Amino acid sequence: MQQAGTSGSEVEVTWEDQQNINKFGRFNNRLHELNDEIKAAKEKCENLEDASNELILTDEEIVRFQIGEVFAHVPKDEVESRIEKLQEETSKNLEKLEEEKESIVAQMAELKKILYGKFKDSINLEED
Amino acid sequence: MTAAAACSSYTSEVTERRGIPAASFVQDVQSYLSQSGLDVNSALAFLQERLQQYRVVEMKLLAQQRDLQAKIPDIEKCLDIVATLQAKKDSSEALVADFEVSEGIYSRAKIEDAESVCLWLGANVMLQYSCEEATALLQTNWENAKASLEVLVADLQFLRDQVTITQVTTARVYNWDVHQRRLRQATTPKES
Repeated sequence: MQQAGTSGSEVEVTWEDQQNINKFGRFNNRLHELNDEIKAAKEKCENLEDASNELILTDEEIVRFQIGEVFAHVPKDEVESRIEKLQEETSKNLEKLEEEKESIVAQMAELKKILYGKFKDSINLEED
Repeated sequence: MTAAAACSSYTSEVTERRGIPAASFVQDVQSYLSQSGLDVNSALAFLQERLQQYRVVEMKLLAQQRDLQAKIPDIEKCLDIVATLQAKKDSSEALVADFEVSEGIYSRAKIEDAESVCLWLGANVMLQYSCEEATALLQTNWENAKASLEVLVADLQFLRDQVTITQVTTARVYNWDVHQRRLRQATTPKES
């Protein structure tokens, strides 16, 4: 993954290079975390979407809504507004995560350019 | 050499973080080996051992991180239900809720005028709090958990930097050795 090696060709590894490699490693780790977080946020979005669709279909005036560990009996319109609020929060969060991912991908590309430029194929920054 | 020393002092001043020793960056493999008085194999063994130690610490930190990441949503859930109880009390309505009495068995409860809630503090202690106090306490717990998580993430980042440095150093020592062997080989065949 972020293994670096200066094969036979004598390319000096400076502290600056090492720091760039560290940075790259950090970004790579964060990228993996972000992918998981984005997946979880998307799932949550879908679940909320499903819930609000079900809510439209139901005739019940009072529905059970999970708060904490219990299922509280809550009027339908209150649940509606609660779900709406949750949806808003989740999609905002998702947006934020996507933005962070974009910036990390860009910064990783930048570091790749620098590191490959110096070490050529003595360094491998690809997955697997 | 002085310039290199100046720029490496940037992090080499940080010799440890919460008991995790910092990996020192090796400027030049040959002088590193002669200064530390190690041959290639013992240097590699040393680095390998360090790496193992880092791995152990990483596992520990990751477990702590998972615990905290689970704890934070739990506290949020608690805050949510306390807020609901309080809102119901303020509008003098009863909260009707289905709750689990045993695995898969639910019963119905009607909670009127919830003045207080009991918080499980741990160590077999439960304490009764007014809703306001409970919210304040849970809020503090939430903030503390968030803060510890932040510190922990920073610790993990530091640790991973040390792992990366050690890996890079291992690769460089190894390659340096291969290079030396090649040089030696290039000179010996002529003698034989």
